[in-house]
Amino acid sequence: MTAFEGMLFDGVRATGLPVQLEARGDEVLIAGAALPPRSINRDQITADAPIPGVPRLLRLPGGELIETDAHDAVAALWPPKDILARAAFAMESRWWAALTGLAVTALSVWLIVAFVLPFAAEPVSKRISPGVEAYMGKQTLALLDRTIFSPSALSEEETDDYQEKYAQFVDGEDEPSTRLEFRAAGTPNALALPGGIIIVTDEMVHATANDAEFLAVVAHEIGHVRGHHAMRLVLQDSGLAVLMTALAGDAVGTTLLAAALPAVLLKTRYSRQFESEADDYAFAMLKRHGESPKAFADLMRRLSLEHHADDESDTLHRYLSTHPATEERIRRAEREQ
Amino acid sequence: MNDRGTMPLTTYRFDFTGRNGEYFRIWIVSLFLSIATLGIYSAWGKVRKKRYLYSHTELDGTGFEFRATPLAILRGRVIALVLLGGFALSSHVLPIMQLVFILILLALTPWIVVAASRFNARNSAWRNITFGFDGRVGEAARVFLGFGALAVISLGFVYPYARMRRARYIIEHHRFGETRIRADLLPGGFYLAYLLATLMIVGTMILLVAVTTAMVLVSGAAGKQPSGGSGALALVPIAMVYIIYIAVFAFLRAQIGNLTLNGVVVGPLRCRSTLRARDLVWLYMSNIVAILATVGLATAWVTIRMARYRARNLYLVGEAAPEDYAGAAAVHIGATGSEVSDLFDVDISL
Repeated sequence: MTAFEGMLFDGVRATGLPVQLEARGDEVLIAGAALPPRSINRDQITADAPIPGVPRLLRLPGGELIETDAHDAVAALWPPKDILARAAFAMESRWWAALTGLAVTALSVWLIVAFVLPFAAEPVSKRISPGVEAYMGKQTLALLDRTIFSPSALSEEETDDYQEKYAQFVDGEDEPSTRLEFRAAGTPNALALPGGIIIVTDEMVHATANDAEFLAVVAHEIGHVRGHHAMRLVLQDSGLAVLMTALAGDAVGTTLLAAALPAVLLKTRYSRQFESEADDYAFAMLKRHGESPKAFADLMRRLSLEHHADDESDTLHRYLSTHPATEERIRRAEREQ
Repeated sequence: MNDRGTMPLTTYRFDFTGRNGEYFRIWIVSLFLSIATLGIYSAWGKVRKKRYLYSHTELDGTGFEFRATPLAILRGRVIALVLLGGFALSSHVLPIMQLVFILILLALTPWIVVAASRFNARNSAWRNITFGFDGRVGEAARVFLGFGALAVISLGFVYPYARMRRARYIIEHHRFGETRIRADLLPGGFYLAYLLATLMIVGTMILLVAVTTAMVLVSGAAGKQPSGGSGALALVPIAMVYIIYIAVFAFLRAQIGNLTLNGVVVGPLRCRSTLRARDLVWLYMSNIVAILATVGLATAWVTIRMARYRARNLYLVGEAAPEDYAGAAAVHIGATGSEVSDLFDVDISL
């Protein structure tokens, strides 16, 4: 026989009436000062799922509600059937269980970010039809042409000359095929778009001291194309966005910024991994064609010197930069030669 | 004192009694089980977190009740996730799709506002009496899209008025039981708040130009860039912009929040809100620092302290006791609107 107290809310007036409840076998007796005593079958009363620190609510058949702090009595009379609710309540009630959950959460987030997403994105990216990739590349190029690119200012002879060197360089290479294009952008840069379009800016062409350096740039971009890096980055970023939404779904307003920062850092990490991969491919390809990866190191060193002359204390920018630390890349190239 | 038989005004306090440790455990277990069940548990987790927060938000000593079922929220989440996924993917495949998506979402705003308000109202109760929302999509379209368009066309001059109309629409269509909630709002306060916010932004911009010019002149006078120091100095304007952004945000939150809540009339009772911009600036700044310093673990603590601040600055003042309200039957409503507005962070707050 269990007896406990609660407040009854009838659902008509916003007033609570103190009541006593008493369980006798399958019946629950409810009585209060202003209420005639009545007996209700225990199965007709439903209890809400328990949450630590939250009063229990009992719903009576007619829409009435009883709020009570008698957690033990309610748990004994109406044990929660829902296994999920039971497991959650058990974990929420114990510090050690909650902290274990925290440790496992942190570990799985790290595993997903560091291994699962990159590992899953690779086979998926290879299965995306070349048509879709080519279409995405064309769309991106159209957007870049409208925004930051202008037509190349190289003369026709220069362009033909570089195209010929490029054609010789990639002759006999495996699929997927690539296409070289030139644009003016204001800064030395080269990029690989989905579908195999390689863009080298006029400024980058002028920055190269010889053909070997030009081919080093092209080899690096071919590395991106062969690894489907553009597509993989899209997939990994999307996975990251879903994960972040799941983790920081509660964040609103000003705290959203605090949640966005780790996402930016993780994206940067992915980009750096792809740069290293493309570097490795470039070193191997250069060696296959009898060129030395030293050309790559020379160009990088010169570009980084020019960059530093412009702006010397750019530590934050360098830290967030998508390319791995330039020094490290130069050292790797020199080790490879 | 009690002249001409008027009853003395009584103040009914809101309070928040949630505890950091308890809520932290509920929050972290929700996160853990959500990941372990590939996101499915998140709907259950959301209900448990909201039930905890509602039940510890007390008016006159009784907590509120959140009644939504996890399945309704899960359904809404799936639809919202498909929309979000489509949005994220479309931007990569076809940039123009993003614009189309935003337009579709904009066109859906009235429906989202109505659906979310109805879901939240129907699932909120106090002393076993549920709230209700009976706004129509047509009127929401007029208020949100119509006045929104006018605000754009008028280069923002109509915006404060549009903001007031939005608040009025949301308030006036709410019920507590069978008691219709009334809105007593005037555009004057809204205009003053936005005017002051604009002046704050203009003032900062002038200051910013002055500081930047001074910095350029100083480094120019020094002959060359001082090595090392210039990088840190360059961060000063960025930090200033960010601090002012938070200050203006907090100022508007406090002002608009107070104006709106003070215009809420429930039967013979009137809301009284005492949010202060300087309190909110401190809360927002310390929240960001705490969340960054704890890699997000302070989220639970942030939720609790914000709920406590809001509840302790809200009162009901009037002549009658809040128990004199009659209830009304509950109706089943889906959660999609509410979940869409959560994921895309559509501002439909009061």
